[in-house]
Amino acid sequence: MAKYMLIMRASDEAQEAFAEAGIDFDEMLATMGRFNEEMITAGVLVAAEGLEEPEKGVVVDYSGDEPVATDGPYGETKELFNGFWVLDVPTMDDAVAWARRAPLAGPGMKAEIRRIPGIDEFPQDNEWVRRERAWRERTGQL
Amino acid sequence: MGKYMLIMRASDEGRAAYEEMDFTEVIAAMGRYNEQMMDAGVLTAGEGLADAAEGAVVDFSTDTPVVTDGPYGETKELFNGFWILDVASQAEAIEWAKRAPLSGPGTKLEVRRVHGDEDFPADNEWIQKEKQWRQELGTE
Repeated sequence: MAKYMLIMRASDEAQEAFAEAGIDFDEMLATMGRFNEEMITAGVLVAAEGLEEPEKGVVVDYSGDEPVATDGPYGETKELFNGFWVLDVPTMDDAVAWARRAPLAGPGMKAEIRRIPGIDEFPQDNEWVRRERAWRERTGQL
Repeated sequence: MGKYMLIMRASDEGRAAYEEMDFTEVIAAMGRYNEQMMDAGVLTAGEGLADAAEGAVVDFSTDTPVVTDGPYGETKELFNGFWILDVASQAEAIEWAKRAPLSGPGTKLEVRRVHGDEDFPADNEWIQKEKQWRQELGTE
């Protein structure tokens, strides 16, 4: 079993199509809710969050001696992401199968899937790895 | 209080510099930072992601989703890990972001607020269900 992150990605095209479609907000909540419920019932959903618009975000840059914070989005639309799910499933294929069922649609709409390495994959005799493991156990993640 | 997501972003330059670093040192620096946030009671979640090249992209442009192996976009569009903090304001999230053990050209953290209860209609059936799931899953 491994954890996989499903990352919502939308291009300019997708954002525009979404705005024009005039989708009913309640309907959107229901569609997302149904998808989330399927994953919870299957026992695979670990976490899920939606993010506020990128324009309201901040980017901290570590290029110089001191970190510099700038209001606004990171990069251009295609570099943004708006939400994610974390699933606990046996393989990448399983994560992909769930991603296919996500209630996402339209040109430029994509989901990126990335595996989350588990704590077991790090040197177990390392002090910091041990501390992280303890934190994950304390907070019910393991 | 609100939840903020700190998203690790790195350009080609940032990634090249990272490859040069001693792995044990990286683990220690990250571990110290994580511990500061745990002690302050602000850390909700944090994960590092496996290499983007090992990932997959599902495209929803057409009627049936199409899956392609490999990274999403170019390096600057990628991200490699995140933290979720529960703090009083965006300013506080930014303060924590500035303390992250990250450095060098092309390395950035994007700070985004995570939608919470106050953003959604409380009387909506699905929102109520979600509140319950979060309690069960412990992601409240």
